[in-house]
Amino acid sequence: MTKQKQHNLWETPWGYVESFIIGIGLMIAGFAIEISASSISALTIKFPYNLIILLSYCALLFVAYKWFSNVQLIRWLSKVPAAISSITLVTIMVLIMGIIPQAPSDNNFVNLLGLNHITTNWAFLLILLVFLTNLGLVTIKRLLQFKASNLGFILNHLGLFIALTAGLLGSGDLQRLTIETRESQPSWIALDEHNHQVELPFAFYLNDFEIENYAPKLALVDNETGKLHFNEGKNLYLIEKGNSYEFGDFQIEVKDYLESSGRIGDKYAAVNEIGSPPAALVVVSQQNKTLVEGWISCGSFRAQPQSLKINDQISLVMTIPEAKKFSSDVSILTKEGEKINTLLEVNKPYKHEGWKIYQFSYDDTLGKWSNISILELVKDPWLPYIYIGIFMMIGGAIYMFWIGNKKLKPDNDELD
Amino acid sequence: MNWINFEYYFGFVLLFWLLGIIALIISYKKNSAIHIANILFFIGWGILISFVVKLWIQLDRPPMRTLGETRLWYSAFIPLIGFITFFRWRYKWFLAYSICMSALFLVINYLNPEAQSKTLMPALQSVWFIPHVLVYLFAYAVLSASCIVAMKGVYDLRKKLLKTSTIALADNLVYIGFSFLTLGLLFGALWAKEAWGHYWTWDPKEVWAFLTWMGYLIYIHYRYFHPNKSKQALYILSVAFIILLVCWFGVNYLPVANNSVHTYTQ
Ligand code: HEM
Repeated sequence: MTKQKQHNLWETPWGYVESFIIGIGLMIAGFAIEISASSISALTIKFPYNLIILLSYCALLFVAYKWFSNVQLIRWLSKVPAAISSITLVTIMVLIMGIIPQAPSDNNFVNLLGLNHITTNWAFLLILLVFLTNLGLVTIKRLLQFKASNLGFILNHLGLFIALTAGLLGSGDLQRLTIETRESQPSWIALDEHNHQVELPFAFYLNDFEIENYAPKLALVDNETGKLHFNEGKNLYLIEKGNSYEFGDFQIEVKDYLESSGRIGDKYAAVNEIGSPPAALVVVSQQNKTLVEGWISCGSFRAQPQSLKINDQISLVMTIPEAKKFSSDVSILTKEGEKINTLLEVNKPYKHEGWKIYQFSYDDTLGKWSNISILELVKDPWLPYIYIGIFMMIGGAIYMFWIGNKKLKPDNDELD
Repeated sequence: MNWINFEYYFGFVLLFWLLGIIALIISYKKNSAIHIANILFFIGWGILISFVVKLWIQLDRPPMRTLGETRLWYSAFIPLIGFITFFRWRYKWFLAYSICMSALFLVINYLNPEAQSKTLMPALQSVWFIPHVLVYLFAYAVLSASCIVAMKGVYDLRKKLLKTSTIALADNLVYIGFSFLTLGLLFGALWAKEAWGHYWTWDPKEVWAFLTWMGYLIYIHYRYFHPNKSKQALYILSVAFIILLVCWFGVNYLPVANNSVHTYTQ
């Protein structure tokens, strides 16, 4: 005789079937709200309301666990089936986000269900609530029965809970502005995400904007289509004076390279003016037989590009150089008359009065001669809490790696 | 300007590994041959690592940018995992598998020569770049190893020969791989904050990285709660790996790809 027990639907404890029914039911309700109510941006709750919501939610979880853990719903919410079903359903929603572009769409079905804005979709938010509640309840459970061996568990689950709740509820307080600064001119009017003007409590003065470029690259293009001819553009070589390169059976030798040049007749010479592009003198040969020799240049906003025709099908061109580094030497002028000098660079933001200031962009039609620099300012008062969560999870991951899977698993295949 | 002399390195690595595999096969009859196999594998691996180092110096930037370069790192890591699991649990078949996988990726690189341009866009020039990519590739290597274990498990299951040690190995690999996956994800978030001002933007590559993470999360919780349901666990592990593959290679081909900052192209 087998000791198979028959588990009827909704008989306690609820298992996977019930968990998925509840989860999918919530999502259907969420989609129904999407269809009937026009989309809201649900996550723009600002301080202090987001803090109040967060604290009440945590208090609610605590009360639920402490005094109502014998209620079927709470019991279910603190067990693995609810975790697996909510993780799976959240994964499915994110999967949709990974397939359908999150941008305005002309597909009616996508628009109706709001599949192009998953992060503010009700179905997603409702299933995320189950996910968070489950995560919160197990965390409280293990915190209350604290043991040293639970350390990894707590770092992982509490860390994730803190990072997620702070990220979600904090997004209403996130401010993200951009400001265009010009050389030798103070600017203090920034734009927010909706292009509304925002006056800053300090001004920026751009002393100098600088771009350091890589050398341009050589490429073969099709004369008719203009498409890159060789190896789908993977094989592009940085131009260097004196070097030779092989493209299939063509050899290309760079006889001369000018970083900044001007065209004189059918030659190029070194000049140093605004808008003077790089140029190179190249020799193309095939099986040691010279085919053509001539100048190429990528051009600039001011100068025409110059290509070199090798035969009826293909030409040799120079690509527009890529930026290696761009930086703004700015002064921040405060209302108190203080002046702070700093150099902003990609990956090297500067902190000032709760704002993080990033080098963002420049006038890319002018490229290296741009005299404006666009900065981004981000203020995220919840960031420290998100970082606490992230660092706890880093600790949790290290713990997991170290201890591995040595712990005994519970013997309760209670749902078999 | 190609991966200079890759052919020579490649040839020697494959030679040593081929001899190593032969020694490993012999070791099933005569156990001491396994030491020779290991020495041969290790020499081949050393040559491979010296190529990585040389490429790094020659490119003047970490070789972690293009698909070919990530394949190279993958070939470098996976034998390491083979060595570690061998010294800890003595799985010969797994050592052989890891060497063959690594060799396969070397062959793919050999057949798709890739000239390396030296440019590295400003956002990638960061102290986070190397730890982020290395940790991720290590995670991918370990997790794909766990997938092979899962496949062996499913096969054994069909033949009703599944041993608990097989699924225990899968668990061990998932725990190691998942912890690295978590680190990669979090390092990425910290870096994105420095480079772009936000730690998470639901960029397509981020979406798929998150999905991969969630896939393995399901496996871990399922195993914890149902230690005896091996079959379902093995299937979950296989599906998680498919998501990982989409994340690694497939994102470029999805309709969402054109607004990703992480696609491995020029
Ligand atoms: C950082 C990500 C996570 C990691 C690394 C992780 C890892 C683990 C591990 C290793 C266990 C086994 C318990 C132990 O070893 O002590 C566990 C249990 C559990 N986890 Fe997670 N988990 C994560 C996220 C989540 C999430 C997002 C949820 C819920 C949505 C969740 C819900 C649970 C539940 C309900 C248990 C069972 C706890 C118990 O029965 O006491 N976990 N988790």
